Amino acid sequence: MAGRKALIKIKPKKYKTGDVVKVSFMVMHPMDTGLRKDKKTGEVIPAHYINDVKFLFNDKPITVMKTWESLSTNPVFTINFKVPCEGELKVIAKDNKGEVIEKSKKIKPKG
Amino acid sequence: MQRRSFLRGIGLAAAATAVVKPSLVLAAEAPKGANAMALDAAVKAITGGKAVVASPKVKLKAPEIAENGAVVPVTVEVDSPMTESDYVKAIHVFATKNSNVRCADVMLTPANGVAMFATRIKLGSSQEVMALVETSKGEFLSASQSVKVTIGGCG
Repeated sequence: MAGRKALIKIKPKKYKTGDVVKVSFMVMHPMDTGLRKDKKTGEVIPAHYINDVKFLFNDKPITVMKTWESLSTNPVFTINFKVPCEGELKVIAKDNKGEVIEKSKKIKPKG
Repeated sequence: MQRRSFLRGIGLAAAATAVVKPSLVLAAEAPKGANAMALDAAVKAITGGKAVVASPKVKLKAPEIAENGAVVPVTVEVDSPMTESDYVKAIHVFATKNSNVRCADVMLTPANGVAMFATRIKLGSSQEVMALVETSKGEFLSASQSVKVTIGGCG
């Protein structure tokens, strides 16, 4: 599996049960539109973009996205999350070539 | 002698104009109205023909002038209690003049607590960015923001 760099950021870093935090998922991905041409060969660079992003908490989907090539290169996806308890946040992103990128982060409310 | 060189000058100018092509190619040129039609079709597919109401409850944040069309920050926030009986089901983001008008469909749940989606998009030209919001009560709300792009983001 291609090791695409990806990360999950939670803001703020310290939070309590019941707080609403910002969750950002960032991944290094070209998000090629299929409209560009290789400057050297003149060949069209085929479309290659993330088309599916799922956010899960303790394996239960909390936000599901369908995305297209209009998103910027190295895309970022930011949502809110109301912390119900301790657990694991997981993001699974898929692209139109079938590649899957998965990232997890522990949710540990203080209080 | 003067007339000859004058005519030659015109000839050269005409040849030069014929050879010069528009050098800046942004997103692939679609036939007139194709984007508007694609947008209408996409919205209809989502709403089933139901009315869409432009609402102040939908706050769409995007720059009025984008420094770089390849990275335009867009944030959509919706004033909603996000409870099981009243929450935002989906936020659809459209770039109304891109060759593909769809940017993202974000399906939210009450677990989000606050209805919000932020990302960065590519805009091939100056255009309106639109957010279409679907609520659990079956309402369709929207908001638009016009973004001026100086350097196109798709090419």
